[in-house]
Amino acid sequence: MQIFVNTNYDFIKWRMAAVAFSIVWILVGAAFYLKNGINWGIDFAGGASIILKFKDKVPMDRLRADLGDASIQQYGKTEENSALIRLPQLGREGDYAGATVEKLRKDLNPEAADPNKLDLNFYGHARIYDLLSTSDPDAKGTNDAAKKYYSDVAQNIMNRRSELGIFTNMSQVSSAPGVTANDMKVLNERAYVGVFNPLNQETVGPQVGRELQMKAIWAVVLSTLAMGAYLWLRFDLMFGFSAIVCIVHDVLVSMAFLFMIHGEFSLNIVAALLLVVGYSINDTVVTYDRVRENRRKLKQRMTLEEQLNLGVNQTLSRTILTSGSVVIVLVALILFGGKVIHEFAWILLIGVLAGTYSTVTIVPAVAIAWNNLTGRKHDIAGPARSARIEEPRGEATTPRKRKAV
Amino acid sequence: MWKVVLILAILVVFVVALVPTANTPEPIKRGLDLKGGTHLVMRVNVGDAVRLETDQAAETLKTQAGKLSLPAVTTRRVNDATFLAIPPAGASTAEYEKLAKDYLGQFDMSRTPEGAMQFKMKSLSVTSIERDTISHAVETIRNRVDALGVTEPIIAPESGNRIVIQLPGVDDPARVKDIIKTTAVLQFRLVEGSTGADAATTLATVPDNMKSEVEILPGTREDELGRPVGVEYYAIRKTVPVTGTDLKSARVQKGQLGQPNVGMSFTPDGARKFGALTGANVGRRLAIVLDNKVMSAPNIKSKIEDQGVIEGQFTQQQAADLALVLRSGSLPASLTTLEERTVGPSLGRDSIRQGVLASVIGFIALIAAVLLYYRGAGINAILALFLNLIILLGMMAYFKATLTLPGIAGIILTLGMAVDSNVLVFERIREELRDGKTVRAAIEQGFSRAFGTIIDTHMTTIISALFLFQFGTGPIKGFAVTLLIGLFASVFTAFFVSRVIFDVVYKPEDRPSAISI
Repeated sequence: MQIFVNTNYDFIKWRMAAVAFSIVWILVGAAFYLKNGINWGIDFAGGASIILKFKDKVPMDRLRADLGDASIQQYGKTEENSALIRLPQLGREGDYAGATVEKLRKDLNPEAADPNKLDLNFYGHARIYDLLSTSDPDAKGTNDAAKKYYSDVAQNIMNRRSELGIFTNMSQVSSAPGVTANDMKVLNERAYVGVFNPLNQETVGPQVGRELQMKAIWAVVLSTLAMGAYLWLRFDLMFGFSAIVCIVHDVLVSMAFLFMIHGEFSLNIVAALLLVVGYSINDTVVTYDRVRENRRKLKQRMTLEEQLNLGVNQTLSRTILTSGSVVIVLVALILFGGKVIHEFAWILLIGVLAGTYSTVTIVPAVAIAWNNLTGRKHDIAGPARSARIEEPRGEATTPRKRKAV
Repeated sequence: MWKVVLILAILVVFVVALVPTANTPEPIKRGLDLKGGTHLVMRVNVGDAVRLETDQAAETLKTQAGKLSLPAVTTRRVNDATFLAIPPAGASTAEYEKLAKDYLGQFDMSRTPEGAMQFKMKSLSVTSIERDTISHAVETIRNRVDALGVTEPIIAPESGNRIVIQLPGVDDPARVKDIIKTTAVLQFRLVEGSTGADAATTLATVPDNMKSEVEILPGTREDELGRPVGVEYYAIRKTVPVTGTDLKSARVQKGQLGQPNVGMSFTPDGARKFGALTGANVGRRLAIVLDNKVMSAPNIKSKIEDQGVIEGQFTQQQAADLALVLRSGSLPASLTTLEERTVGPSLGRDSIRQGVLASVIGFIALIAAVLLYYRGAGINAILALFLNLIILLGMMAYFKATLTLPGIAGIILTLGMAVDSNVLVFERIREELRDGKTVRAAIEQGFSRAFGTIIDTHMTTIISALFLFQFGTGPIKGFAVTLLIGLFASVFTAFFVSRVIFDVVYKPEDRPSAISI
């Protein structure tokens, strides 16, 4: 199958419309930004984020009453019975999420009043092991074999909980392999299944948040400059500059999208932006590489506009295909990859699409503007006077190989 | 031919790395976000240690002055590293200055306008105390974490007086944090007066001449049955005759009623000090102070030498944890949590399932697209892709790189990009064919002409992956590593492997006239 064979679309003609479109897109993003601000994730804003999975429906009202200034929402589908709790920054360092989870454990579980009863949905292996090995329901004694025996039982209970997400009743505990009736007797007496299982808890103090903000900004700016510098060395100043404009464009378009969907600006998003910086430029490199190659062997007079159009058309099939292959993968990640990387994958998708789009529109526009401002040095005039005008793309006559080979 | 052998050898080497063995049941380590566990960034409050040193210096000055019967000075700490010594009005300070020269070498002395001596710790000394504090804290935390049995923990100092702690597989973060953060400064100090419901009442029971020698510390009040019913305050002597460093070991034991408590035994030196302390104070109360809280204050019935018991309202677990922190030694300074990320095991399991599902679907879709578009040559690309995947995973196993959730995304993304290299070559070959080249010439030209371009596209992504690595923490770093390895693997497969496959299928000596591309 072949598509885009020997195309000759006039991309250059449409470049100004494309520039206008990009500007409008970015301005819309900026408007959303002005209206809503940046939805900083806790990585940058600081504060705490907690994900709890409940036995039954999430007790929203109870949580709201308990945690005054927190934002609480369903996490995932309603039937997953999970809640995402976001607590704003306190302005001081400390174990914020841990303290909140502990408070909720005490508030929501009536059984928590008795410190000698163990919440099997809350605590881990060590405490279950401790309970079983001290009461020794299976009469194994206190030797190393007994320790291992009870440690394994405790681990099986934990694994069962991980599989289920949460124990909804004690009979699920007994379904873990290796749990005997005697163990259950002890557990029924000394343990219970609490109303929630903390899936995830994160605290980012104000100091770390500020530092991460600075680091993120520097990483994006420096990698953009490094990229421009590399391409300047490999190509020329005009291209290095166009490439930087292209990268900035792709990053801005991706960020504008993030603002439009009011997505959370997290570490993962910065990772996605850095990747956009590195990957979206690939199309541009391939295209320019072709333009440069053409310049070496072209025998007819060509303005920069014509050179760019030829290069873009020649590499169009490849550009679409490779972006397409990454897009396929990203769509799979968006659809099936789960909540944690959802926005990450979206930003990458937009960034990759923007990269392809800017390669055929924005980069030529910038290069042409540069050429016009610098006295059209990039038009090729010389070979036009040669006698071999009639032989446009014959490579047999130019056996000159590329330097890199 | 040797090329084919080389490729097969590489394949074998990396597949071997991926086969789980008894030693490595998990060939590729899962990151905290997939396995569950805790990532902590703690700040060591090094000021604590500096302050302690300053306080001790002030004490030394007073003790030495006492020995020479100099007029008593009052001392006051101005900040962590500075204290003032104020002589009584009219007294000469010449003797003090001599003392300072002899005993306070790490302090610079100056005069305040009021005539007090100001001692400020030399910045070199401050730095060295801070450095020692950090390494001591790392050591103590490592002891504690090891005692908890966490596998493959990471405990590393970082700039800014910080310690990064990564504990894979921890399923009870609250307990682990408590154990790590407990300063565990254990002291045995004499009690003055009697206890009271608030600090003022307690202080009132202390004789006037002792008032400046005690500090008021809180403890738990118990009813007749030993149940906690509130807080009460103790007046505790400031001098600390015996501390936790005099302990040889600590373990959980059962009290008379079967309740757990912590038994201690002393080092020979500690036993001597403890014997002297208890022998001289029979009939008085001795407070066992842990982190400035009175755990218990039993009456000294007789001289005790090598054994002691800490009683309190412990569960079995709490007693075990206390014994653990006492054995591992006290922290030289308190810790403040700056960052915590804990992933429960259930969420990790979910993430893996979704990540793998998305990757498999993405991979299959990619294969379908490549086959549809390039037919025969598509098989070539797919073989290269599979080899790429195996090299990538194998390298991760060899380098002990950690697989994180963004890392899974990184793998599948790398595969998407690896196709890019094949596409560049294949498109080039198609172009050459359209220009009327023979199959062999088209293959030659296709590979050689695409080379520079592919290097450039990889270089740009490598640059951003390096920035990603520099910037990222935890999962993001894992992503950057995966990406970097994948990029190198992709250059290798696209150029070498794919080329060899073409050479094997379309042998130059066969002079092939058609190619499926």
